[in-house]
Amino acid sequence: METEPVTLTSNETCLLSAKPRIAFFDFAGCEGDQLQIANLEEKLLDILAHVEVVSFREIKTGHGDDYDIAFVEGSITRPEDEERIKEIRSKAKVLVALGACAAIGGINCLKNFMGEGFYRDVVYGPQAGWYRTYAARPLSAVVTVDAEIPGCPIDRLEFARVVKELLLGRTPWLPDYPVCVECKMAGNVCRFDMGKMCLGIITRAGCGACCVTEGAHCWGCRGLFPTANLDAARQVMDRAGFDRRQVQDLMRFFLGDTRAGL
Amino acid sequence: MTAYTVQMEQLPGLLAAWSTQCQVHVPVSLDNGFYDFGPWRPGTEIAFEYDVAYNPLKRFFMPPREDMVVFDLETYSAKPVFAAPNILLFGVHPYDVKAVTQLDQLMESGSVDQNYFSRRDATVIFALTPMAVSETAFWASVGADKVDQGYDLYWTKIGPGTFHVEIGSGKGEELLLAAGPLSPATAGSREAARKAQVRARNLGLRRKLNYDWHETPHVMGRSWNASLWHRKAEKCLGCGSCNTVCPTCYCFDIREEVDEKLKTGHRFREWDGCMLNGFALVAGNHNFRPQASERYRHRYMRKGKYIFDKIGELGCVGCGRCVRACTSKIADPCEIFNTLWEESRHEI
Repeated sequence: METEPVTLTSNETCLLSAKPRIAFFDFAGCEGDQLQIANLEEKLLDILAHVEVVSFREIKTGHGDDYDIAFVEGSITRPEDEERIKEIRSKAKVLVALGACAAIGGINCLKNFMGEGFYRDVVYGPQAGWYRTYAARPLSAVVTVDAEIPGCPIDRLEFARVVKELLLGRTPWLPDYPVCVECKMAGNVCRFDMGKMCLGIITRAGCGACCVTEGAHCWGCRGLFPTANLDAARQVMDRAGFDRRQVQDLMRFFLGDTRAGL
Repeated sequence: MTAYTVQMEQLPGLLAAWSTQCQVHVPVSLDNGFYDFGPWRPGTEIAFEYDVAYNPLKRFFMPPREDMVVFDLETYSAKPVFAAPNILLFGVHPYDVKAVTQLDQLMESGSVDQNYFSRRDATVIFALTPMAVSETAFWASVGADKVDQGYDLYWTKIGPGTFHVEIGSGKGEELLLAAGPLSPATAGSREAARKAQVRARNLGLRRKLNYDWHETPHVMGRSWNASLWHRKAEKCLGCGSCNTVCPTCYCFDIREEVDEKLKTGHRFREWDGCMLNGFALVAGNHNFRPQASERYRHRYMRKGKYIFDKIGELGCVGCGRCVRACTSKIADPCEIFNTLWEESRHEI
C-alpha cells in the first residue's frame, strides 16, 4: 500500500493564508485522535495562536465551510462517505489523514474479512437492511491525501510537529523506518528475545515504541513502513514458532487494508 | 604497571565515594535472563559474571537523541549545546572498551565531534575481565579479549572476594584510593590475574573466525561480487537493529523542530543506520544504495574493510549483539566472514 505522504508543491503551501483556517472531520472511528489533540492542552493554545479553527466539534460549537487545512479522522465505510470526503477534499487546500482509521483503514478493515451478512447483523441488528455499507478503506483509497499522522491513537506530539511543519511551509516528515529503531533507542529487550510476537519489525516508527516500552508488543497501528519486508517477517514469525492463524489475526488487526493482512 | 588488590568488602565504600563525584553505572541482571548497565545505588547487586550488556555502551557518549543547537527564529541566532555529565562505567568488558577506543579514533578524525568528546571526556571507564561469554560472541578471535588502553582501571576477579586492579590513568588511581589506602598487588595476584585473563580468552574462543582476523580486509576485498549478499539480504527486514545495537556504529541523522509558539527551536541528532532504506537517500529522491543487498554488503564492508583501511583494526569487536538482535538471523559477522573466507581462500 502506498502510505508515503504526498509532497506538497510550493504552490499549495503558498496558498495557505497567514493564519490558516483549519477544520476537523470524522468518519468511521472513535474520535480518539481528536481527543488526543484536545489533550495537548497548553501546547494546543500556543498552536491556536497561529491558526483559526472553523470546525472542531469535540472542543467548540459552530461550523464553517471555509477552511485551508482539513484534518480527517476515520475510515470510509459507506458509499455516502465517499461523497462527503470528496466535498471536503474540494474545499481543503491541504488534507491530512488523522489516525490509523483514516491513514491505513485500521481496525475498521476487520470487517473486510467477514461476510457482509455477519457484520451487518452484528452492527445494526434488526435494522441490518436499512443501511448502506461496503468494505472499509483509508481516505487515500478515495481522495488524494497530502499528509498523514498515523497511529491508534495518534501521538499528539507528532500532530503538533506536523502542524508546525505545515505552518512553516515544510513538507511534513514521517519516519520511513520501523519501530525496531525506536525500540533500540529506548533500550527495550526485544519481544522476540522474550518469545513474544511483535509487529515492530514491519511497522512505521514515530510512536517512540511506546507499547513495547510499556511492556506490551507492537500491534502495527502506524501501518507498514514503506520498505517493509513481509516475507521476511512471516519467516521470523514461523521460526519463532507462532501459529500462522495467530500471526494472521495480529496482522489483520490494524493492517487489514495492506498486503500484510492477507 | 601499578596494580592493587581490592577486597569485595571494600567495594561498597568505594562505590559510595565514586557516586559523590559521578553517576556510577554497573552491570545488573535484568529480570528476563539478560544483563545491562544500570545506575548503581546503595544495595545494587553488581552482576560481575555477566556475559554481555544487552544494549551497547555507546549510548553514554552518543545518546539515541541529543540536542546540538538551539536557535531563535526572531533574532536569527543560534548557540551550540554540549552536555557532559560525569559518568563512571564500572565493569566494562574489553571488547566494549575496544569499541569505545575505536569510536574515539573515528570521532577525532576529520572534523572533531565535539558533542561526542564533551561526554567522553567526562566519562571514567573501569574495565573488567569477562567471566562469562554470550552464545553469540566471538570477541577473542578478533583480538578483543584484552585491551591495553582505553580504561582508567582494569579489574580482574582473582578469587571469590578478591580483585586484581591495574591502573590505567591518574584519574583511575585517584578514584581507586578515594576510600583509603589499598594493598599493592603481589607477584601472586598478578599471576592469578594473568590466568584469569587466559581463561577469559579461552572462554571467548568458543565461537571464532576460522582464520587470522588480520586477513579479513583481504577477504572482503575479494568478496564484492559474492552471492552471499543476495542470499542474506532477501531475508533482511531493513530494521537497522544490527546498527543500533552495534557498539561501533555511530551514524546519525540531524533534524530540527520548533516550539509551539514558532519562536525558538532545536537541532538534534538521532541514531541512524546504513541498513535503513532512507539512510542513503539524498535530494531529488535519489538513493545511492537502493537494494537491500547493497546495504547489507556495505555494512560488512564497513566492519571488515573500510574501518580497517582507516585505523588498522576491524570495525567489529565480536560482541555478538547484532547476531542476537537480528530477528531474521542473518546478521552474524562471524559466520559471514568465515563463509567469505572459505569461498575466497583459494583465489589469488
